[in-house]
Amino acid sequence: MKKTVGWLSALAMVLVLMLAGCSDSGKEGSTAEKGGDGKKAVKEGKDLTIAVADNFTTLDPHDTNDTLSNSAEKTMMEGLLGFDEKMNVVPLLAEEYEASDDATEFTFKLREGVKFHDGTPFNAEAVKVNFDRLADPDSGLKRHSLFALIQSTEVLSDYEVKFTLSEPFGAMINTFAHPAALIHSPKALEEYGKDVGKHPVGTGPFKFVEWKPSEGLKIEKNPDYWKKGYPKVDAITFKPVSENGSRIAMLQTGEADFIYPVPTEQVEGVNGKNGVEVDSEPSIVVRYMAMNTMKEPYNDVKVRQALNYAINKDAFLKVVMNGQGEKLDSVIAPDVQFYSQQELYEFDLEKAKELLKEAGVKEGLKAKLWGGNSSSTVKAMEFLQQQLAAVGITVEVVPMESGTLSDKIWSVQNPEDAELELYYGGWSPSTGDADWGIRPLVGGKEAFPPNSYNVSYYDNEEVNKLISAGLQTADENARADAYEKAQKLIWDDAPWVFLSADNTLAGKKNYLKGVYLLPDGSLSVSEAEIE
Amino acid sequence: MVDLKVSNKEAYYQQTLENTPSKTPFAEFWRKFKKQKLAFVSFFFVVFLILMAFIGPFITPYDITEPDYENVLSGPSAKHWAGTDAYGRDIFSRVLAGTQISLYVGLTSVLLGAIGGTFLGIVAGYYGKRIDSLIMRMCDVLLAFPGILLAIGIIAILGPGLGNVIIAVAIFSVPMFARIVRSSTLAVKSTLYIEATKSIGTRPKRIIWKHIFPGTVSSIIVYFTMRIGSAILTAASLSFLGLGAQPPSPEWGAMLSGGRDYLNIAPHVTIFPGIAIFVTVLAFNLLGDGLRDALDPKIKE
Amino acid sequence: MLRFLGKRLLQVIPILILVSIFIFLFVHMIPGDPARLVAGEDATIEDVELVRKELGLDKPITEQYVTYMKNLFRGDFGTSLKTNRSVSYEIGERFMPTFWLTVWSMLWAVAAGLLIGVISATKRNKWQDYLGMFGAVSGLSLPSFWLGLMLIQLFAVTLGWLPSGGMDSWKSYILPAFTLGTGVAAVVARFTRSSLMDVLKEDYIRTGRSKGLNERRITWGHGLRNAMIPVVTMTGLQFGFLLGGSVVIESVFSWPGLGKLLIDSVAYRDYPVIQGEMLIFALEFILINLVVDLLYGILNPQIRYE
Repeated sequence: MKKTVGWLSALAMVLVLMLAGCSDSGKEGSTAEKGGDGKKAVKEGKDLTIAVADNFTTLDPHDTNDTLSNSAEKTMMEGLLGFDEKMNVVPLLAEEYEASDDATEFTFKLREGVKFHDGTPFNAEAVKVNFDRLADPDSGLKRHSLFALIQSTEVLSDYEVKFTLSEPFGAMINTFAHPAALIHSPKALEEYGKDVGKHPVGTGPFKFVEWKPSEGLKIEKNPDYWKKGYPKVDAITFKPVSENGSRIAMLQTGEADFIYPVPTEQVEGVNGKNGVEVDSEPSIVVRYMAMNTMKEPYNDVKVRQALNYAINKDAFLKVVMNGQGEKLDSVIAPDVQFYSQQELYEFDLEKAKELLKEAGVKEGLKAKLWGGNSSSTVKAMEFLQQQLAAVGITVEVVPMESGTLSDKIWSVQNPEDAELELYYGGWSPSTGDADWGIRPLVGGKEAFPPNSYNVSYYDNEEVNKLISAGLQTADENARADAYEKAQKLIWDDAPWVFLSADNTLAGKKNYLKGVYLLPDGSLSVSEAEIE
Repeated sequence: MVDLKVSNKEAYYQQTLENTPSKTPFAEFWRKFKKQKLAFVSFFFVVFLILMAFIGPFITPYDITEPDYENVLSGPSAKHWAGTDAYGRDIFSRVLAGTQISLYVGLTSVLLGAIGGTFLGIVAGYYGKRIDSLIMRMCDVLLAFPGILLAIGIIAILGPGLGNVIIAVAIFSVPMFARIVRSSTLAVKSTLYIEATKSIGTRPKRIIWKHIFPGTVSSIIVYFTMRIGSAILTAASLSFLGLGAQPPSPEWGAMLSGGRDYLNIAPHVTIFPGIAIFVTVLAFNLLGDGLRDALDPKIKE
Repeated sequence: MLRFLGKRLLQVIPILILVSIFIFLFVHMIPGDPARLVAGEDATIEDVELVRKELGLDKPITEQYVTYMKNLFRGDFGTSLKTNRSVSYEIGERFMPTFWLTVWSMLWAVAAGLLIGVISATKRNKWQDYLGMFGAVSGLSLPSFWLGLMLIQLFAVTLGWLPSGGMDSWKSYILPAFTLGTGVAAVVARFTRSSLMDVLKEDYIRTGRSKGLNERRITWGHGLRNAMIPVVTMTGLQFGFLLGGSVVIESVFSWPGLGKLLIDSVAYRDYPVIQGEMLIFALEFILINLVVDLLYGILNPQIRYE
């Protein structure tokens, strides 16, 4: 009997050591390489593999609502305008543009001599076909709403086109730069109709080869690309790899040359080892905890401010974001247009407790915190739970699977009936404009669920006025002024606990240049180059 | 499915009924069970685990929810035997306290599944015909239904939380229990002994409770023990998919799932709860094997 | 025999109808609005309604059910809400990867399981038995996602011998097939052991022994053949389970199979794909059960099909 026990425990020990061994040796292996100050990885050939977190849903930009599919589309198609790496609007297929002062008329002068992959010439007529498609409510396109304001598209000449809006919309230039406004070859649209999402034909640096939803997307160099000297790689394969650890492993083993996103936890572990570099850049993604301002006790601004003081944002960045982000100091991130910095709610437990006392909130307040069920979201919610415990608020964390969560939030018909108390979420305004960072989230009754994303049910008359003022004009200064005031008001009303602005995190082999993430989290590969 | 072994089993049961040894059944069982060395050791380990489940939460060296942000992800040391997690909490304490949760999930879910499955199995086996084929086809459907979808559905409908995880895991166990109990029921039912009881006019309810159910108990116990392990694993998989216990609960699967993002830089965060799951499930499985060998009348030395 | 086969095949139809009704109700009971989920993260209510109309989800549920069943009888599984491709295409695309992974996992698992089981049964309560059973049960006791992640860490990242995921060459099969097979190997080993132990006690084996037949021939020839029935049942069941695709393993190894498709479809409440997949699973399961029953006859000619 004794013998068996001894034998068994010995076996268990061996097993433990074996398991510990595999991870330890993993560590040693990489430190050895780290010692050499990050040796240069070597790449043969000019074919890239990029591992991404999910499957693409479609390759029709007009019908796409996820940044990931947009990234794939941008390799093959281009819009009139685009964003540079700082989210500034830059001309692409348009050379110049002009907006009327009342933000209703927009005229573009187009680049000449550009051809689609199928040989069709790019011209004003092609632009019209695309935007007529987008503006048509019967087309059933997911991005119709961004362009629903377009009343008419006129061909002024072969290379000049004018858009007229039904009402002023000051943020329209950014909308034209949005990936939803990428331009299909008119011939492909005619040929494939709704199926154009499986046969993308554009003017971009890469041509479509093959897309199997499960295995990934293959694209190849467009030899006739209008920008001379580009692209500098021959082909790219995108592979969907949803498990974070597996994606990282692919980069380490060289199965992938570029991966994104890199989970914040892994940055330290992989950066500078195995020839891997992690690029960490500010994004326009904001993290916040919304409080339902129609519900007790969060209808009291003191309570909302108290919660802002109660959360240690430095600790949030360190523990939850692993240092990959900045403290959020407005309702939008610094790279969003018309951002204006506010004075932080510095972590102050005493002040938080005092404010709660003033508001008449007793020790032992119970609250439910809703959010998604990914491991990073759960981690953030658990952190918030710990922080709020220090001011006597008992938080129940309720992670929900995406479908359930969206049902809970958006099936609410009367704002008064909303069950939601606290909600942890993030937002990335894909147009890069202040309007899309503010209006859907805190834009008054219009934005209450189920209409939009105002889950804090925040409704401030003055803010609403400023938001519409920002849209009434194309004058940059007037817009900046309106958004500056709105941001200040929102900050003081604190419908959210303002947490952080994320960094975009991409991992790459150190021979790779010119592949980067934009602040909106979309990918740019047109300048990809292997050293 | 064709009932193959019925005739064989009938013979065995007759044999056992005839050759009932002079010793009490329990003594006989214990004598056999002691011979199963792996199972015997596992038995003590399971007893130890159950003990831990009760006292574990009270003897943790650290508070299991209290964060220490200055001390996150530190490796095993004299102060923290199993290191600390992403919030600086002591992993050893959490693993210790988590014993209760994992055993609770494992035991209650299988218990619920066993109750449901046994009921269905006995009814199907005893009444036969239409009822039998209805119940068994339902079980087939349930078996063909991927457990994960079922779990997602159930948790989506009922909401997150440990209670609903238990229900989801319990439903996985129902069809297998039903199948096993049904075949034991058929075996017992066809013995002459039951035929005799029926012929003297005993009511079905009484026959089921007094005669058939006891005859199925040994197979239930065996499968019950084996099933606990897989229930704990299923609960862990649900945590992996983000459908498990709510934070800050130190459920092992949740700890494992939360730590998987740190596999490169802090493997200890996953290794210790992983070992805890492994050893626990192993113990239950080995115990189940041993019980089967000891309870099965067919196996003689 | 043929009558048996015909009867069993006829039974498939009501089961499939039952399954389809059950599935339809079940997936519609799960909270979540596919229009909202398909419309995406920053969709406005107008977008959502547009999508709802486009997908035909604005029609009453009974009408949706009738349409679904009508199409089903014509062999049309419908169109994916998320990708706008036909469900048959989506499933067809993922079936083979799952199928081959299942086949390879089963092959090594059954081989290893049989070997361990036979050794354990013949060396009962000796160290070979303990080691074999301990090893087998260990395989059954590991959380598979954890094992998978650990194997990737060891063989792909640290040693660089094998790819970490995807399905590019034969090498890609090794890690996922190993991970997926461990549980099956354990089950097969346990079943073989106990079943063989039963058989080795039977009279005809004793007779064989007393006649002086070679021990190895007794075990492998007569014993195993008769011990195979429960093993075949279990293996068939496991095969059925694996063919459904393992959500967890396919996620860990980014395997483009049915399990991954299922979890993605559930996330989007992609009703037609979920329903289509479930029907395929049910069908596979029933067919495997049938094959298992037929195998009984081959293993033991005494069995008659009722």
